[in-house]
Amino acid sequence: MTTDFLTLQNIRKQYGATTALHDVNFNLKQGEFLALVGMSGGGKSTTLRLIADLEQPTSGTIDYAEAQPVVRVMFQNDRLLPWLKVLENVSFKSRDPQVQVQAATMLDLVGLTDFASVYPSQLSGGQKQRVALARALMAKPQLLLLDEPLGALDALTRRKMQDLILDICHKQHLTTILVTHDVDEAARMADRIIVMKDGTNLYEEPGLGGKTPEKLGIVAEQVLQDIMGPQPDVKGVG
Amino acid sequence: MESTTELMHGHQLPKPKMHFRMQRLLPWLIPAAIVIGWQLSSQVGWISSATLPSPVAVLQDGVSLWQSGELQKNLSVSLYRATTGLLIGGSLGFILGFVNGLSKVCRGLFDTSIQMLRNIPHLSLIPLVIIALGIGETAKISLVAIGVLFPVYINTFHGIRSVDPELIEMGHSYGLSRWQLFTKIILPGALPTILMGFRYALGVMWTTLIVAETISASSGIGYLATNAEEFMDMKTVIFCIIVYAVLGKVSDLLAKMLEDLCLEWRQAESRS
Ligand SMILES: Nc1ncnc2c1ncn2[C@@H]1O[C@H](COP(=O)(O)OP(=O)(O)OP(=O)(O)O)[C@@H](O)[C@H]1O
Ligand SMILES: [Mg+2]
Repeated sequence: MTTDFLTLQNIRKQYGATTALHDVNFNLKQGEFLALVGMSGGGKSTTLRLIADLEQPTSGTIDYAEAQPVVRVMFQNDRLLPWLKVLENVSFKSRDPQVQVQAATMLDLVGLTDFASVYPSQLSGGQKQRVALARALMAKPQLLLLDEPLGALDALTRRKMQDLILDICHKQHLTTILVTHDVDEAARMADRIIVMKDGTNLYEEPGLGGKTPEKLGIVAEQVLQDIMGPQPDVKGVG
Repeated sequence: MESTTELMHGHQLPKPKMHFRMQRLLPWLIPAAIVIGWQLSSQVGWISSATLPSPVAVLQDGVSLWQSGELQKNLSVSLYRATTGLLIGGSLGFILGFVNGLSKVCRGLFDTSIQMLRNIPHLSLIPLVIIALGIGETAKISLVAIGVLFPVYINTFHGIRSVDPELIEMGHSYGLSRWQLFTKIILPGALPTILMGFRYALGVMWTTLIVAETISASSGIGYLATNAEEFMDMKTVIFCIIVYAVLGKVSDLLAKMLEDLCLEWRQAESRS
């Protein structure tokens, strides 16, 4: 039943002399929530940009099970259009009444109905990200790509956004890839965690997928060990 | 204790109001003082009416120009030249700015040439235009059009080039068509800069027209002034200058209103 929704094979990406990705291989199942973690410069964003078709790989193949999948990226900065009001941002100011109704539904989903007719500049950072999420969900995407969308938020707002995203992803059976620096976030939200290092997918760990929070510490610690690699033995106080 | 706070409030409340009123009046203080001083010195006889007629005399001259129909006739001719020139030069600059802003090929083809032409002061083209087009309407309208074209071009071009590429990338990946990208992202993103160019162009429009009408014309406000100069009619000369000032201020106000209308979101931004 669960087929591979997406397959990356031998992906290499070069920017002039710098090699952003050496050799990336992984697959993604329908409905799966995958997290990409790793140190800065490891190639997480580049991988996401290639999957989103914002850029082309230097070599290697990206295969989708479907011919024309709807893919939506939620960027790290909200990328809202400052000249459109909140609802218009979600609907891209469409005159189609069906689209408008859909936009209002999405805004309701992220709990921002009251802010429909204000400009983005009048929103807080977390509210802006929720508008961006509503906009990303408009086209009923088959694949949702999240590039550190919560990085700029405070811990509490961040936690609320995590729950909101998880809830929506599970309810709508979305296939999702989340890029994050935050090991806890990855462990908490993802079904599977891929650790990227120096342009390759180095390790893979099972995540909690929003369940069994008591195991969070163990999973997060394991992922952290993967990222940092073998450490020299540090003598403790004892 | 209550009465103290009341007193303090009573004392503090009118203050911002006064401040507000003063702020609105402040810009008009110097002009008003000059006009009053000028009128007084004319009446006392410090200034001879031949060198500088009194403000009241200038106003009376304006009224008689109006009654004879002279003012309306020349004003409408000037307005016609100004708007026609603005329309032609403005749309040309706008289209060129857009095309060059959007297309690499056009940019390569036109931009260097335009930048070279831009550095020629357009008023220095007056002799050339008069020789080529005579002293008819075409010459004056062309001069205004040339003067207006460059500020509109430059600002449209830069406005479009400086639209946030991340927003364009977002629109593209969110499935907007080329036309939608243009109308929903590029145009509104460039609009503040474009309108700034338009506002500046309005100033250029008047200066160009006045100079052109002063040098060669048989109608228009510029002509009215030059004609009066020949008869040493100081009242009309000064009246024409005042008309220029009013025209400039009114067109700037109109441009400002257009900006406020189109850029509502910017006000929201500055408020927050
Ligand atoms: N447009 C580009 N031009 C040149 N080099 C680039 C470009 N984009 C990325 N790189 C390089 O590719 C490597 C991987 O970058 P990438 O942005 O994918 O890392 P990342 O894992 O997302 O890092 P971070 O956690 O800091 O966002 C880096 O060394 C970066 O310098
Ligand atoms: Mg990144």
